[in-house]
Amino acid sequence: MSAARRHLAHQGRRTRVQIPRHGRARAGAQVSAVRDNGGVSPSPDRRRPAWVYSGGDEPDARFSLANERTFLAWVRTSLALLAGGVALEALDLPVEERLRLAASVVLVALGTVTPLLGWWGWARGERAMRRRTPLPAPIGFAVLVTGVLAAGVLVLLGLLLR
Amino acid sequence: MSERAQDTGLALERTRLAWRRTALGLAAGSVAAGRLLQELVGPVSWLVTLLGLAAATLVVRVVLRRYASTAWRARGGGLVAAVAVGTAVIGAVALLVVLAGQARLV
Repeated sequence: MSAARRHLAHQGRRTRVQIPRHGRARAGAQVSAVRDNGGVSPSPDRRRPAWVYSGGDEPDARFSLANERTFLAWVRTSLALLAGGVALEALDLPVEERLRLAASVVLVALGTVTPLLGWWGWARGERAMRRRTPLPAPIGFAVLVTGVLAAGVLVLLGLLLR
Repeated sequence: MSERAQDTGLALERTRLAWRRTALGLAAGSVAAGRLLQELVGPVSWLVTLLGLAAATLVVRVVLRRYASTAWRARGGGLVAAVAVGTAVIGAVALLVVLAGQARLV
């Protein structure tokens, strides 16, 4: 371990001990300390979730922002799935009733799971970027595609069987 | 390399707009949900709309503050987790309404 690395490790330890002692009330103090450091916070730090932020160092700011936008795209997908699933039942469309209900349930269930998948992807991506490891394979694509396909087939069958 | 010197270009602005789009979706959804639930719970359903609009406003306000300073990184993933859980809860409620066969508008 080089002298510089030892110094960094020491700094990290000191930060980790100090911050919980100050608690949340001193969060502002930590932010200004971060700003003094040019916006790059010391790592390890007290940000949540700890398993994301506990290791590595700050990635390029643009990568973190892109990661956040990807999460938001998942949330919007979820809102669209929920709206579609509820509308299918609410608007009394001319589709065979049981198949329509099944499609609606599939879409709404998918809309319930996707924000959690988006969060999981965000956390894993952030963690990988901090640690300079390859980005994990996207999760949730198979679930999303299978679900939307199933809902589409159900509605199509419902239209034909009506 | 300090983050101040790092040029984020329009990435920050794009992210802010993405948050706004998402909040707008939530606001629109809560208006629709309020109308839909009217058949189920009566005029109280407008509380759902009000709650949704308040949540959307809160998200926009929090995001405005979040990116106001160069130290936005210090905020961590709390907002992201809160939005994920909130959306999942909305989904769970919608699932219950659909399964109960109450989502009838027409």
